[in-house]
Amino acid sequence: MSDPADIVISVRNLAVGYGGNAVLHNINFEVQGGEVFVILGGSGSGKSTLLKNLIGLCTPIEGQIWIEGINLATAEGEERRDLLRKFGIAYQSGALFGSMTVLENVRLPMDELTAMPEPLKELTALSILKLVGLGASAQKMPAELSGGMQKRAAIARAMALSPRILFLDEPSAGLDPVTAADLDLLIKEVARRFGMTFVVVSHDLASIYTIADRVIMLDSHTKTIAVEGRPADLRDTATDPHVRRFFRREPDADASSLHL
Amino acid sequence: MTNITQNDLETVLQFGPPGFARVVLRGCLNARSAADSWKKLEDGLRAVKLEKLEVDASKLQLCDGSGLSLLRYLGMGLMTPDAAVSVNGLDPDLEQIYRAFTLKDYNALRPLSRVKCHSIPHDVGRGVRQAARDWRQQIEFLGNVARNLLPTLWSRRQTRWPEIGRIFEQAGADAVPIVSLVSILVGLVIAFESVQTLANFGAQIYVVNMIGIIMVRELGPLLAAVLLAGRSGSAFAAELGTMKVNQELDALETFGLDPIRFLVIQRIVAAIFLTPLLTFYSTFLGILGGVLVAFALGFSRSLVYHQLTASLHLSDIFLGLAKAVAFGAIVSAVGCLRGLQTEEGPSAVGVSTTRAVVSSIVLIVIADAVFAVLFYYLKK
Repeated sequence: MSDPADIVISVRNLAVGYGGNAVLHNINFEVQGGEVFVILGGSGSGKSTLLKNLIGLCTPIEGQIWIEGINLATAEGEERRDLLRKFGIAYQSGALFGSMTVLENVRLPMDELTAMPEPLKELTALSILKLVGLGASAQKMPAELSGGMQKRAAIARAMALSPRILFLDEPSAGLDPVTAADLDLLIKEVARRFGMTFVVVSHDLASIYTIADRVIMLDSHTKTIAVEGRPADLRDTATDPHVRRFFRREPDADASSLHL
Repeated sequence: MTNITQNDLETVLQFGPPGFARVVLRGCLNARSAADSWKKLEDGLRAVKLEKLEVDASKLQLCDGSGLSLLRYLGMGLMTPDAAVSVNGLDPDLEQIYRAFTLKDYNALRPLSRVKCHSIPHDVGRGVRQAARDWRQQIEFLGNVARNLLPTLWSRRQTRWPEIGRIFEQAGADAVPIVSLVSILVGLVIAFESVQTLANFGAQIYVVNMIGIIMVRELGPLLAAVLLAGRSGSAFAAELGTMKVNQELDALETFGLDPIRFLVIQRIVAAIFLTPLLTFYSTFLGILGGVLVAFALGFSRSLVYHQLTASLHLSDIFLGLAKAVAFGAIVSAVGCLRGLQTEEGPSAVGVSTTRAVVSSIVLIVIADAVFAVLFYYLKK
């Protein structure tokens, strides 16, 4: 795993935020090929902002993001398009196109970006939908699906072109435990069988223990990475009180939200 | 695995004894290479009649979802309908995924080519039912607003004056620049165009009378209302529509708060107060535009003033302002109604906004016609 060629994402001295105000600074981490990497943090710790920078939707205030040896910020034109094609992104809300059926949503990237023949596209889309358990909903409109189904459809769409890196923003938020567990299993299996790299933004502890190979935890007090490591190790060995509380799901006694 | 270049796939097609063929895939099978390979295989396999086809996937270094689809397509015998196909040598992990989707699944999940037949009676019926429902909702809404308007205004607690002030500012004060520009230009252009015809009769000075009457009685209220519909009627529809989509309206109702009282009345009240002001301003600037043309023609200030005061009566100004009140009520009420009617779905808010603007403008023009007839008979 320590082979430098295997590093898919390398983040160096990154500061991210809006309008010059840093939400996070001094961020350094590396994601290896084929691993499930989880960005963890409480509400408002800057997880989603970091993700937006990683996928090139926002420009970092400072520092660099290298994707397989290419600097995301300086890549332009064809190089940038190729780079973005390595990404599959499933947004928190699903972001399915409401005017198309689920199948058409999943087919869209193949229709627009590849020269695949018609039957192959259909076969790929249907098999991915079956893989995420939505085979029977292929003809439905996104509005007819439940929240969990929409999330799975979004993941199916993100997987359509078999990207190198799949970014998932809060995949298990708003799902019931059984659906969330199914989704965890799916992530784990896809990562293992296709060798896909996952970058997952989450605050769902239960799912992190199942899926994560490695975790970084963002701290909203210090505005940087608090800890990095395997989730089970962090739970057992973390010394930082914030981190310990987070992993053990204990309330914050000093800053309790109930001022009794 | 990362060292393989993306398009490195070798597709080898071997024909053995008659009726037997073998496909060897070597390298990296992904979305791009699968498309190329497909073409090659289809060209090679379509022409021949096969009994047995063997696909050797053991030399694949990488195979992604699209690649698996190519193997499935071959394996299901869709490319070679008469042959018995076997796919061998797939990586065990992928083999399991490969097996998870069979021809049976494919046939069950495939979208049937949807035949959309439009029957005219069906379409007409649906249109009529929709129109009837829309009318019902409009009448219901009108009744609801009328019932709530005065009680809400009466009770100090229920009227949110700061909110009315905010709407007043957004829909009124913020609209001043655009109303100025449009009114002054319309005044200028109308005066300029008509002067050329009036010149035939040597009656250029009457351009002042004309622009005065037109702006005060017709165009002032109309311009203000149309701009209000475009700027604020649409905004009302979008605001309420977004609130409906976000379930904020449901939240209000579960608190026991009536959205009509809480959201709609404030907007209608604000619009009723601000439209006459906007109309007055628009009228003034429109006349100014016409007067500028008169000055440019060399008429003196006192002559222009005399012509204006002689042609306009107080009743004309009241007519204009009365129209303005009606138009303001129409624009705001229609905007709110369309917002509340917003349905589910991503384009719903956009649809409501469009409907708000279109219905407002249509209703304004109809109301304008009604006013014209009404005043004709009142003057008699």
